[in-house]
Amino acid sequence: MMLTCKEFDEFMTDYLEDGLPVWQKYMCWLHVKMCRECAHFVRQYRRVVALEQAAFDSPDDPVPNSVPEELVQAAIAHRNTR
Amino acid sequence: MTVAHEFSNESALADDSEVACKLPTLDAEEQLVHSLRNGEDSGFEALVRSYGPQVMAIARRYMQSEADASDCFQDTFIAVFQSIDGYQQRSSFRHWVRGVTINKCLMQLRKRQRRREESIEHMLPLFDDRGNRVEVASPRQKAGIGELLDAEQLRRVVRKYIDRLPDHYRVVLLLRDIDGYTTREAAAILGIKLNAVKTRLHRARSALRFMLEPVLEQIDSDADV
Repeated sequence: MMLTCKEFDEFMTDYLEDGLPVWQKYMCWLHVKMCRECAHFVRQYRRVVALEQAAFDSPDDPVPNSVPEELVQAAIAHRNTR
Repeated sequence: MTVAHEFSNESALADDSEVACKLPTLDAEEQLVHSLRNGEDSGFEALVRSYGPQVMAIARRYMQSEADASDCFQDTFIAVFQSIDGYQQRSSFRHWVRGVTINKCLMQLRKRQRRREESIEHMLPLFDDRGNRVEVASPRQKAGIGELLDAEQLRRVVRKYIDRLPDHYRVVLLLRDIDGYTTREAAAILGIKLNAVKTRLHRARSALRFMLEPVLEQIDSDADV
């Protein structure tokens, strides 16, 4: 018997991370093959994860590459007061 | 004044206001740990300068406000310095520092007054009585507003939407999708059950998908051309 969309949704995280037993994995795979809405959802969901990672992963990002000097000095001073 | 020190010798050195650094090599890390264990002042300064950008980036990601991020920045370095003897070298030093930073952020988030959070219930997948998916268009999609964003704008939009998630969803999303912890590790860090991590992660990603839907549709239509 085929999974409903709701049942598939409950398995989705594990399915996408290959964390399901073979039978459940097959049932999920079959559902995605048969259900256009869920296939669309899965495609967008995967893209969201990729977009998240890209959002914090640029070598040109000014945030990860620099810290105000005054903050560095404050941390050093903070330690000296301990 | 240009600041130079042995742990940032590979990096482009900055002007008075900002210090830009790369993480030290593994050899330099070992030296740094040794110096911290000996309680050397220069070791602490090198620690702050070398790991400052990494720590600040994480603190900004979790804390959202610059003031809270700065507090975490300072608390992290004090914690690293005070607990250096507890560093077992089972993981790399930079990985350990990252863990300390995230712990400090999570402590701060628990302490701080809860910000007003938007419910994400209306952003989650909907199903009819027979369990079939019901597509709900996000408001901007209903209005027919497509978005053409360049890569940098897109990154900003994604970060803004992640920031809109309630903390208990946002933190799980950051731990799993950005900081690369496994579900089990995230559960241990947060002190919650494995299934709770999975549920929160799925809900956070689903809500983000809802918010990003106009952009995702645009990407899809570009791909079809």
